[in-house]
Amino acid sequence: MTNAVRVVVAVILMSSAVSAQWPAYPTPGIPKNSDGTPNLNAPAPRAADGKPDLSGLWEPGVFAGAQAEPVAGAPGGSLFGDVSRGVAGGLPLQPWAAEVVRKRKADNSKDNPDALCLPMGIMQNNTHPYPRKIVQGNAHVIVILYEIQGAVRQIFMDGRSLPNNDPQPFWSGYSVGRWEGDTLVVESSGFRDDGWLDTVGNPLTGAGKMTERFRRPNFGTLETEVTVDDPKTYTKPFTVKFKYRLMLDTELIEHVCLDRSSQHYVGASGASGGAK
Amino acid sequence: MSVRGCFLIAVCLVAPSVGALAHHSFAAEFDRNNVVELKGLVTRIEWINPHAFVFLDVKDAKGQVINWEIELSSPNGLMRRGWTRNSLKVGETISLTGFRAKNGANVASAGRVTLTDGRQVFGGSSADGAPTVPNAKEERPARP
Repeated sequence: MTNAVRVVVAVILMSSAVSAQWPAYPTPGIPKNSDGTPNLNAPAPRAADGKPDLSGLWEPGVFAGAQAEPVAGAPGGSLFGDVSRGVAGGLPLQPWAAEVVRKRKADNSKDNPDALCLPMGIMQNNTHPYPRKIVQGNAHVIVILYEIQGAVRQIFMDGRSLPNNDPQPFWSGYSVGRWEGDTLVVESSGFRDDGWLDTVGNPLTGAGKMTERFRRPNFGTLETEVTVDDPKTYTKPFTVKFKYRLMLDTELIEHVCLDRSSQHYVGASGASGGAK
Repeated sequence: MSVRGCFLIAVCLVAPSVGALAHHSFAAEFDRNNVVELKGLVTRIEWINPHAFVFLDVKDAKGQVINWEIELSSPNGLMRRGWTRNSLKVGETISLTGFRAKNGANVASAGRVTLTDGRQVFGGSSADGAPTVPNAKEERPARP
């Protein structure tokens, strides 16, 4: 296809998709080029307190989920499938964790929370192909609404510390944030012991801490990096980096996951009672 | 190329986008080398996440009617490709290309679907290694 045809195709697809969902409602406040098209290279907006405003609907823009930023010595590819794709030399797994991953791969990841319609945790939610909406409504809390499974996260910005009183373990932990210059730094802990960072099942335990760094270098881009420090599972911390792009003129769609049959995951039929 | 012609091809070539969902491993359930071409009457539609399903009555070579279960992408993914709940209706005849289940059941993962009005749309399911259609472009180019 020529570039011109690609443009026509994209426009038709976008208009088709939007009209199929609900009446078109253009995202407000988007800077425009002189020809009226969105200028996604414009400076990132600022919130009332002068901090960068990360609000918006963000997607990896790639079929298979967030793609690892190129790193020498790492294969690259979908982090949603396997976070090791973004880590030079692979993940520094403790021996027990390496065995767990081997088993999970061997049984086609049948126990992945995703396969059972259970919460997927921060890393899988962050790398999932579906959009997530960041709502930076005030100086005290930032909310992330993930389309996948309708997951919700609060990042407390009021200066509180992470709980140190052995809190109840959470699927997505407990998150506090702060600004370092124009970068939002989010620290999370309080995870369950049976976390899955990705589809292949690289583990996360309650001993783990995750640090996310979000930066909006221009209007249309959100750079993200996530550091996992879980000494019970990994011999040293590791970091993966990826990018989102801003989605315009659309909204989150309700997503309720119905666990039809976990057998579906391991190669049996859908077991719906329909065709056999 | 006419706009309409462009549209038909375009949907097949570039529609797979954010909607794909790696809910499960394609390779765990389906055989990418076992391509089936099915034409039949829509008997049931399940418009549910994480995968929509359509059931088809298909006549085999002996004239026997077999009900096939076809896995589609998620409703969310299909919506972003322009599908609506009215894109498929019980009683319509559609044809599709799919990839059969490894266990030999009358179950397949959809690739290209040809609707009653002739429109061809991509209905594929898993992002995790799922094939689409020949020369399909699975990933939208990232913005610079």
